[in-house]
Amino acid sequence: MPMTFIDIERQKSWRISLLFLFLTALYFVFAFVVVQLVVCFIPGFSVMHGSFLVVEDPKYLAAIGFSALFIASVHFLTSGLIAARQVVEQVGAKDPDPEDGIHRQLMNISEEIQITSGRSKRIRCMVIPTLSANALAVTDLKGEAVIAITEGLLSRLTRPQIEAVMAHEAYHVLSGDCLETSLATSFFGMYASALDRLRSGLAEEPRVLPIAVVFWVLVKFATAVNMFISREREYRADAGAVRITRNPLALAEALDIIGRRWSGAGLISDGLEMLCISSPRISEHDESEGWWDDLMSTHPPIKKRIDILLGMAHVSASVLTKRETAKPPAAESAEPLHYALDPDNVWLGPFSIAELATFPWFSPQTWICSVAGGKAERAAGLPGLGGAFTGLSPGTEAQQGGVNCPTCRRPLAWASYEKTTIYRCMFCRGTLVDNDKLQRILARNEDECSERIISLVRAVTADNQRSLAIRKLRQLDRRKEPLTLCPKCGRPMFRTFYSYAYLVEIDKCGICGVTWFDPDELEMLRCIIENRITPRIDEPTMF
Amino acid sequence: MAGLTLIAAIALFSLWMVFIYNRLVRLRNDVGSAWSQIDVQLKRRHDLIPNLVAAVKGYMDFERDALERVVSARAAAAAAVGIHEKAVSESRLTRAIDGLFMVMENYPVLKSSENVMQLQEELVSTENRIAFARQFYNDLVANLRTKIEVFPDNIIASFFSFRGAEYFSAGEEDKALPSAGLGTRSND
Repeated sequence: MPMTFIDIERQKSWRISLLFLFLTALYFVFAFVVVQLVVCFIPGFSVMHGSFLVVEDPKYLAAIGFSALFIASVHFLTSGLIAARQVVEQVGAKDPDPEDGIHRQLMNISEEIQITSGRSKRIRCMVIPTLSANALAVTDLKGEAVIAITEGLLSRLTRPQIEAVMAHEAYHVLSGDCLETSLATSFFGMYASALDRLRSGLAEEPRVLPIAVVFWVLVKFATAVNMFISREREYRADAGAVRITRNPLALAEALDIIGRRWSGAGLISDGLEMLCISSPRISEHDESEGWWDDLMSTHPPIKKRIDILLGMAHVSASVLTKRETAKPPAAESAEPLHYALDPDNVWLGPFSIAELATFPWFSPQTWICSVAGGKAERAAGLPGLGGAFTGLSPGTEAQQGGVNCPTCRRPLAWASYEKTTIYRCMFCRGTLVDNDKLQRILARNEDECSERIISLVRAVTADNQRSLAIRKLRQLDRRKEPLTLCPKCGRPMFRTFYSYAYLVEIDKCGICGVTWFDPDELEMLRCIIENRITPRIDEPTMF
Repeated sequence: MAGLTLIAAIALFSLWMVFIYNRLVRLRNDVGSAWSQIDVQLKRRHDLIPNLVAAVKGYMDFERDALERVVSARAAAAAAVGIHEKAVSESRLTRAIDGLFMVMENYPVLKSSENVMQLQEELVSTENRIAFARQFYNDLVANLRTKIEVFPDNIIASFFSFRGAEYFSAGEEDKALPSAGLGTRSND
């Protein structure tokens, strides 16, 4: 075992040359078959050479050999040099947003992990905007290394767990095994995604395209390369991560969370599975053992990985199930209580900040008075109360975002919500969210849904489901409504449901991609996704 | 012929000496740069602490003890010279900060202050960076010490008076005390 990560980094992997040989052999066989077929159709060739087989002529063999070597070298270099960029583009990974609390934490963790290797290798961390839970590492011949982690995973893990996942991926990069998987992926794995796209394109009119056949063959080769990729490297990376963070339990918990969730099947294509921390493909080989499963699968059973890590931490598996069921601790009694003046000018209370936040009339302008005494003041004036506005801090004049509310025309203020920044109208409490931030907000569940929002969701979705069903049955178009204008570009936004599974109406701008949520709509959408609420028509509405 | 063999042997011996000497120098420089990494992070922590203390002071008037412990530990750590003294004082500072974080948990109102949360995140990150930088430094020191002590490298090392660097660790008296971590790493 090398002493430091500098030593590991200096080691060259001989498997890379093996991959190159494999590629050359592949092209050789391919060229040979093509030449042989062409020769068979040339009249008089056998008369000239006395045989149909080109094998018997060293001239042809040498020519085929050189061209195979040349094509393999070109393929090796072009794929190898752009592997990281290609994968990043394919999964749609983006740089972390420094203004976002959770992304800032990720950037910090990435810096921390790089210190372990004495900053011998620069690793970029990126975020994949999807709700699935997975992470991947990719590197290329230029030395560019990227660790990408999905928004869904980021929002579900605690800091030590993210550290453990990053350390696992960083170990892949530092130990050099990431380079061979990245190259294998870029040689063949890319075709798997191209095939996926072709398949979805052909779904409407099924026919056989010659290019699809070529891609299919290449995908089969990718499966063959998977056989070379040993399952052992995941065990090694787990051990390496523990060596970096000295926290086996955090990695076991992270793997447990990844194992229980959607790890990106359908989104992260089959060709990229060997780069991921857990295989997104659902296969019977992944969770079983034996020489055949070892050969066919790129990842070891996640349960076995967790067991090994728990063994290192000297704890039993029941720790994980206990943590799963354990509720977060209730708010401490040290929290200050306040009386609040309701819209009918009646003092109510005392309430904690969280309780106050559940009142629909509670706003930064509400008069409140502390139980401990003191004079009444506006809610916005108290330190620490900012977060009470369903996770929002009221923006000050200086923090105004420079755009106006599409309904009441007042300037929108920057506000912090689920650790990212959004525009909020402090008057009507509507919210404007940029496209890239919407996925983050939906993936995170820092704040619990209030009872009021849950009731509202049930009523509104049932209502929307009913009106949608009636419209469909009567074959009516959408009802005509005055369109809201986009606060950013001024063009009309279209009013639509977020999706047919999540029946919350939103206003979306097709040009600049921003979404406008009327009051409570964003909270409702989050609540539906978090609590998996399905609309029920037979349920009586609350109205 | 004998002369030629002698010359060849001397040439080989000098080559070997050069090789060992260069390797030792490289290791010593690696250790030096790893130490500077720790120093940068310690400085960063010293700079962050006053900001955090100022940010939470208003909310935590009843917890003067915890705050004062952090402030005095920081002052002691900033004044420390020498690797061992630094390690001991920094370890005390880590424990004081952990204690402060623990007390902060009792004030949910702090969680809604973005400034405090951001400072806390920065400080937790710096704690981790220090821990990782120390791991890296100690690994390199172990490497250098091994090289200096194994035969035959020890001949060259003693000839050019190479000395093994000191480990960055708090020593036995501090290890006995438990350290409470809240999302932070404990001492290794």
